[in-house]
Parts: sequence; C-alpha cells; structure tokens
Amino acid sequence: MFSLSPEGVEFVKKECSRYETKHSAIIPSLYRVQKEKGWVPPEAVPYLSELTGLPESHINEVLSFYTMFNKKPVGKLHVQVCANISCAMNGGRELAEHLCKHFGVKDGEISKDGKITVSKVECLGSCGTAPMMQVNDQFIENLTPELALRKLKEMGV
Amino acid sequence: MPKCKINGQEVEVAAGSTIIQAYKAAGIDICHYCWHPGLSVAGVCRLCMVQIEGMPKLQIACNTEVKEGMVINNTSEVVKDTVKWGLDFHLINHPLDCPICDQAGECGLQDQYMQFGKYDPEMAEAKVKKHKVVDLGPTVVLDAERCILCSRCVRFTEEVSKTNELGIFNRGDRSEIGTVEGKPLDNNYSLNTVDICPVGALTSRDFRFRQRVWYLKEADSVCPGCSTGCSVKVHYNEEGLWRVKPRENKEVNGYWMCDTGRDTYKFVNLKARLLSGRIGKRDQWQEISAEDATRSAGLKLRETVQKHGPDSVALVVTGQYTNEEYKDLLKFFTGELKSKNVYHWLNNPEKMKDFDGLLFRGDRNPNTMGLSAALAAHGVSSKWETLQSQLSGRKLKMVVVAGPENQATFPDMKEKIQMLSQADGLIWLTAGLNADLNQVGSETWQVPLKAYVEKAGSFTNFEGRVQPFKAGTTIVPQALTLSEAVELLAGRDLNWALRPKGLGGPKTNYAVTQRGTL
Repeated sequence: MFSLSPEGVEFVKKECSRYETKHSAIIPSLYRVQKEKGWVPPEAVPYLSELTGLPESHINEVLSFYTMFNKKPVGKLHVQVCANISCAMNGGRELAEHLCKHFGVKDGEISKDGKITVSKVECLGSCGTAPMMQVNDQFIENLTPELALRKLKEMGV
Repeated sequence: MPKCKINGQEVEVAAGSTIIQAYKAAGIDICHYCWHPGLSVAGVCRLCMVQIEGMPKLQIACNTEVKEGMVINNTSEVVKDTVKWGLDFHLINHPLDCPICDQAGECGLQDQYMQFGKYDPEMAEAKVKKHKVVDLGPTVVLDAERCILCSRCVRFTEEVSKTNELGIFNRGDRSEIGTVEGKPLDNNYSLNTVDICPVGALTSRDFRFRQRVWYLKEADSVCPGCSTGCSVKVHYNEEGLWRVKPRENKEVNGYWMCDTGRDTYKFVNLKARLLSGRIGKRDQWQEISAEDATRSAGLKLRETVQKHGPDSVALVVTGQYTNEEYKDLLKFFTGELKSKNVYHWLNNPEKMKDFDGLLFRGDRNPNTMGLSAALAAHGVSSKWETLQSQLSGRKLKMVVVAGPENQATFPDMKEKIQMLSQADGLIWLTAGLNADLNQVGSETWQVPLKAYVEKAGSFTNFEGRVQPFKAGTTIVPQALTLSEAVELLAGRDLNWALRPKGLGGPKTNYAVTQRGTL
C-alpha cells in the first residue's frame, strides 16, 4: 500500500491551497513522492488523486509528460549524463558510455548493488561547462571520464 | 453585434463570437479538427487558419474573436498552403489504413484531405508505432496510431460527462490517448467520444466492422429511450437499423445522447419483432396477416361490448406511442365503445423522477406526458388498483393492451402479462416479440405494430415539448400503426394506397460478402 510520510501529506495539502488551481500542485506533489521514494511508482497516481481530489488522468498526464520523474526505480546515486549538443561535442556520450561500462550497467539500468543508475539525458542547461552530469540534485561540471569516476567514488560508489 | 467580412461576404455575429463560429453561421467551409461547438476551445490542430487584413500572421479562427470591421478570408494562397502543410504534419504518423478503417467514409481526415490535401507526402522517416486495438472500456476501442491528438474526447470527458477518464499521456510524437489503470472509459455518455472523434481512432464496439457507412442511409428521428426525447438520426439499410447517433438540437440534447439511447435500434430490427398477426393461446398459435388478426379481434371486441356492456372491456396503454395514435385510440375506446376503463401502465413508477443531470431520465418512455394529456383530455383517470380488482373479480371479458415496443424498459413485463391474461380475451398490440406472451392461457390476438422509426407522429417530452418526427424506413411491412390498428378494430377499412411498401424481410448486404471475426 503506497503512502507518503505524514510530513509529505501535510506538504501536498499545503501545495493544494497555495495556488489558484489545484492542478498547480501536481508537479510539487510528484516531486515530493520522488524525494521520499526515489522514484514515482504507478500507485502514487491514485494515491495523490485521492489526496488532492484531482482526477487520476490529470496527474498521470503530468507524470508521463516530464522526464524528470523517474518512472522506474533508480540507484542510490542517479547519474544523469548530458548528451545534448554542447556536451556531445565535448565527449558527453563517450562519458556516459564510459560510466556504464565501468559500473557494468546499461543506460537507465540500476546496478546490482543498487548503488547507481547511469542514464543519458537531454540538455540540463549547463552548456558552458560541458560535458557535465547531474548526480541526484547536484551538478558536476567540466568533466573528464577520470574526474567523473573520482567524484562518484567520493560520493560513495 | 460586430460585423465582419468573410470571404467577401458581410456577416453579422453576436458579440464575443469567434471567427470559426462566424464561418459556421455564414455556412462557409472551414477546415478544422479540434474545435467542436459543444466543447471548449483547444487550438491544437492549427488547421482553421485564416488571414485577417492588417495582421501580419495567420490566426486560428477558433480562438480569435470577431471584431468590428474585420476582413477575413480562408481562400488565399497563403492560407491554402498553410492548411495543406498542417494536414501533412497530421499525417506524419497516421497509418493511412483507410481501406480497413471503420471511420472511412465519415472521416474528418479523408474529407479535409480531398479538399486541402497535399497529395504528395514528403515524409521519409518511419512512422511511430503505437498501441492498436486498445480496450478503453466496455463500449469504445482505441487505435492510437490513427489518433491526431485533437483532444476532443479528453475535453468531452472533462467538460461534458465530467468523469475525467481520458488523458493524453507521454510527450511529443509518442503522445497517446489513454485511461489510467483501473479507471476505464465507462460512463453512460462514452459513445459520444466516438461521434466527435474526427478520425478512426475511437470506434464503437457495438458498430465497428458491421457496416460500411457509405451503404447506410440516414433518417432523422426522436430517441424513444427516455422522456428527454433527444434528437437523433438513425442509420439503416435493407437489413434494418445499425446505429443511432445524436443530432444537434440546442433546446433538448445539445450535441449529445446517452449510450442507453443508442440501444434503441435493437428492438426495431427483425429478430426482435412480431412479423405477423397471431391468434390463439398457449401452444396453439395460428399465424395470420396483421390485418385479419386485427379485424377478428375487433369483431370480438365489439361483440363483447354489445353483449356485456362497455364496462366489460378495458384498455391498457403504455407511454411509447405518438400523440396522434393516443388521440385515435382514446377516441375509439371512449367514444365508440363508450368505455371509461383506460389504464396507464407505468413501467417503473418509483424511478419516474430520476435524472442523471445531463440527459438520461428514469422515465423510460418517450411520451408519458403525451399520454397523460390525452387521458386528461378524454376525462379518463382509472386507477391501476381498480384494474386489478376487476380482473380478479372476473368482471373483464376483453382487455386491449397497447404494449411497450422497447420491452427492455419494462421489468414488470412477465408479471403484467400474467395479470392481464386473467381476462377471457386479450388483444395485445405490440411491435416486439415476447416469449411470455406466447404462454398465456386465455384467447389472445397479437397484432404487430410499427416501431418509432417506421411511423410519423410526435412525442411530448418531459418538459412538454412536442417533438414531431417523420417515418424513416419500414422494417416489418405488415406492421400497423396504432391508429391503423384502431381503424381495423372499429371495423373500418384502411387506405391501402398509403401503406408503405416493405423491405420484404432480411437480405444479405450486397456489399459485404465475406466477414471475418472481430
């Protein structure tokens, strides 16, 4: 049975009354689910629908539209490597492949020890410091494959 | 009241009208998909482009208000070119499987393409694969590849049925219409989404692959499913009726009708109908023509009145006939037979006042109001209990029943047949076959009547609105209208020249020789 923490429930309810329409609370609520669970499981949709009073279809529309919501479980560290134009020109794709090979995972797959997920993503808005990756909520920029690995090791992989 | 010029024609519209409404009011063609008069404006299909003098760019007609003195056109080369390319973008991921598509013949894409299409696609990329034959609910099937994401169906469930089952999920060229798991498209208005779908993405489970629409003819009618009386059109061919669709009528049903009402074609077709007159009782039936059966019943009825007086006969009427028929029937019964024993058979008295807030009403008769008015006009108001006591007291020799044609709405059918057959003779006027009626023990005359699409007349709906309708097609050639049956019961002759030539029974559809399984 899916449920948020009491603070999470409190947060969602507050968001609902914060904006002109309740629909504006969908993204913060889904973020809250992701923060607590690491990903947004499908059961979160009926749960939030009941909590906010919004139709399930509307919540699912938002959830399925945005790629920033993980629809599958991710590792403790979610490494998103930018492979959009500036990063790609500076070796972003190769960086992603290097990390995948090093940790023995495929793109978007969770590692066996559950510690890491590496996924290739589109622009993260840090083109000036390409190539870069985002580990959970943190940007790590101006990368080389070696630097990326060292940073990840520091973070405990 | 702003005035504007549309394609050179002066048009005056109500303040606040959009350009597309002005086009519709002026009766000028404009290409569009996502706009629907009964739904909010979405502005997603970008096909209703118009050129407005003084504006540098083209505007969408559905979301631009008409202002005084606007000069608008959708015939310039710029507009034509834009629409042409817009259509081509809609077709990028469309499978173009018209030959096997159920919508072919009444498809928005086909229609618009004939007029505005590019005819020379330049798309070289492979089409995006999406879900086919998606089970959206008990009535609707989705083909996501055919969908052009106009969002009409989504807006319908949001704004009209207010059930919010449908949504557009995923993003970009992977967007698809869908339902959330555990919440199928299951409401009493779901088939309207099929009507408003401009392409073959949403199809009706009941109708899909049954007929090619260009072989069907259309006739306007009024839905007999409940006392709302939605304006409908019925689609038929030589074999009978195939479907019922709503017809625009702002005063009654807007653009919609309920799914229950769409079933009203089923009891009209041959399989459910009484095809000729029948005389006899349990296990001893004799099939004769409708005319002879009615004449013989009339003879017996008039004889009974002569012998035992007018109180020895009774009339039981349901609210499923036209005002004109009630008039003739009551005139004969109260005027000629001089009997005051007239009873109104209510099918579900406890649900009569029910209403779902949109269209569907608990009173499942099209003309309860008309019958009540006719009964009042003839000053007959007999209580149902009196009938019961008269029957059990064996005071009634003959009962004439103008039975229901839509028998599904009469849950008490069996019980009432048993009750009424306590009389010595039973004259049952009805459109539909009934197995229980074939089991009665008293002398019975079954007379086949016409169903609503086979006759002209008028229904009075719940609010007293009299809605006339014309005869559409004939399915049972022998069947009589109630008025004709009354003439024969009274011993008079019919004007045979006015009788319709029937379809003469079932025929194979000449167009469909092979049919696979669904």
